[in-house]
Amino acid sequence: MELFVLEHKRLWRTPRVLLCVVLCFLYSVVWGSVFQYQWIGFGTTNDGTDIYGNDFDGYSNIRGFQEEFSQFGDEWTDETLQKIVAKYESYDMYERPGLRSMGDWQLASGFLSKLYPELEDPEGQQYQPLIHYVDTTKLTDFYQRRADLLEFTLETTRQNEGMSEADKQMFLDMNSQIEEPWPYEWTQGWANLEFGWSKMAPYLAIALAFIFSGEWHSNTAPLLHTTKNGWKKLARVKVLNGLAFALEFYLLIAGGKVLVQLIYMGTSGWDLPIQYMSLEAVAPWNMLQAELYELAFGLIGMFGYAGLVMLMSALAKNNVLALVYSLAFVYVPDILGRYLPKWLMALSQYLPLVGNSFDYLNYNVFHIFGMSVWSPWMLISVPGLIGIVCIPLAIMKWSRRQRV
Amino acid sequence: MELSIDRLTKHYGRKIAVDCVSATLTPGVYGLLGANGAGKTTLMRMLCAILEPTSGEVLLDGKEIAAMGEEYRDILGYLPQDFGYYPTYTAAEFLSYIAALKGIPRDRAGKRVKELLGMLDLSAVADKKIKTFSGGMKQRVGIAQAMLNNPQILILDEPTSGLDPKERVRLRNLLSEYAGNKIVILSTHIVSDVEAIADKVLIMNAGQFIASGTVEELAGQVKGKVWELTVPSEQARLWQADFTVANYRHEGENVVLRIISEEEPDPGAVPCNPTLDDAYLYYFGEKEA
Repeated sequence: MELFVLEHKRLWRTPRVLLCVVLCFLYSVVWGSVFQYQWIGFGTTNDGTDIYGNDFDGYSNIRGFQEEFSQFGDEWTDETLQKIVAKYESYDMYERPGLRSMGDWQLASGFLSKLYPELEDPEGQQYQPLIHYVDTTKLTDFYQRRADLLEFTLETTRQNEGMSEADKQMFLDMNSQIEEPWPYEWTQGWANLEFGWSKMAPYLAIALAFIFSGEWHSNTAPLLHTTKNGWKKLARVKVLNGLAFALEFYLLIAGGKVLVQLIYMGTSGWDLPIQYMSLEAVAPWNMLQAELYELAFGLIGMFGYAGLVMLMSALAKNNVLALVYSLAFVYVPDILGRYLPKWLMALSQYLPLVGNSFDYLNYNVFHIFGMSVWSPWMLISVPGLIGIVCIPLAIMKWSRRQRV
Repeated sequence: MELSIDRLTKHYGRKIAVDCVSATLTPGVYGLLGANGAGKTTLMRMLCAILEPTSGEVLLDGKEIAAMGEEYRDILGYLPQDFGYYPTYTAAEFLSYIAALKGIPRDRAGKRVKELLGMLDLSAVADKKIKTFSGGMKQRVGIAQAMLNNPQILILDEPTSGLDPKERVRLRNLLSEYAGNKIVILSTHIVSDVEAIADKVLIMNAGQFIASGTVEELAGQVKGKVWELTVPSEQARLWQADFTVANYRHEGENVVLRIISEEEPDPGAVPCNPTLDDAYLYYFGEKEA
């Protein structure tokens, strides 16, 4: 324990590590959350062309929208859609809010274009989205239309992308668990659900890539190897130290973002279904569950990536190489994406912090030993498994270097 | 306690760093003398079991040290030649860290760290970061870490490098006092450090022990081969070209040369008492040394 505490203290005291943590916090929490809520995302738009020209008044705007959209009821029905669209149409043409404004206009407009395409102006005279001119009395059968859309989309996917009938049925079964009518509150605030875990990779890599290789750089390896606990215990302590750092780093960033979210949004809307994000999504999840998935995805990804980085550090005797190898896992698939075979590109998505945490909105399935496994479960478990494999390998590799 | 080096050999490709070296070390201070590249560091690393020999073995009381593993490392203290440290640690933190690695319980480690910091005159800077230390201070931290576990076998590779004369004297005294019933091996090419404290000197060249014995024995081996000759200063260069000159001292218009030679270099040469320096030069020759 004493060794762990001293090792951990040393890691945190390294200027490079401190700089990474501060920069990541500023980027992810201050810029990515506080400024997004208060300024870029929800600050009052003045001329509508420059987001950096927004006022710094996001907090009051969010409260205002939560209040304003509560007038449309707490359940999503045909009537809710009709009321929102009618409200939008009631604005004076020149004062009408843009679809990208903070109200749920974009949401309603998206629903209209997907579910009511036949109501679009057949003559092509109207160059504006449906929400500007549609006859609201015709906005009926919302849930039936969504079911038809889902059936069509799944069938198209089955025919064009080789989805099996069983998989299609699996998705339909998942969809059947979504309770209707959906609860409703202002949803636009949940646009910031993505935490951007892949952006954490360089910071974590810079902090941990030198954990083993740094001993060669600082020329301490001969010294450490001749101590009683030396190489083997130290390897275990170092790995534990790396994982503890990954956890603390994660808690700092994720905790910071969740706290900011709670301050700005409160708990309002946590029970909204994720179908507000994507109408065709079939997962019977609400926003809270999606956020928990996002948090678990990040935590497991961080652990998995920490394991990978530590393995690279144990393999390389050189700090720069350890860092380059570590970053390559995250960025090479991205850079070489178009040159890689499709299957390899798909596999690379399962590397820690690489994959899409929003895959629960899609229809990807893996078939393992005859079982159909929904992609989000793979995306959350494979990076963890990679970490679990990498950690003993890192210890073994470092341990084998007892003779220097 | 007996540390036996049995036909120890280390090859790096075609290069032979240590060539079939054998010796038996019992408690005492051993000075390993040799020029750069003589194989001292390679030998020490093999004695620490961090470098695998190409052939031969090192036995401690009949047990192979590599096989002893933790048991051997528990009684070993080692100062590598290029001592690495963590710049962000203070001296006290660094020593506590190494103490933890050496498996010393926390309460005992605290006392030992304090004691060693005092012994090596580092108490005043115990809470300062090592990166702010002078070379000599860093070297003293390195020596302290090697002695933390009160090792039965203490191996110090060039421990006096970077130390000023006062610190060197302090270290010599410390090691003499420490040795007792322990084996202390120190390598250096500063002959006077070895001369002052070593019970036995091992002279290495080209990976082999070319001479060994006490300081007196080694010096005795060159008895009758050390001469002092006074020559005009303009002739000094000619003598230096032909003989191994251990010392060169001006005396008015003349120069007094201390010459190592099997035979009397000149009828005017006066035989004198040899020192370990002379023996070292005798074995290596002026250029090699």
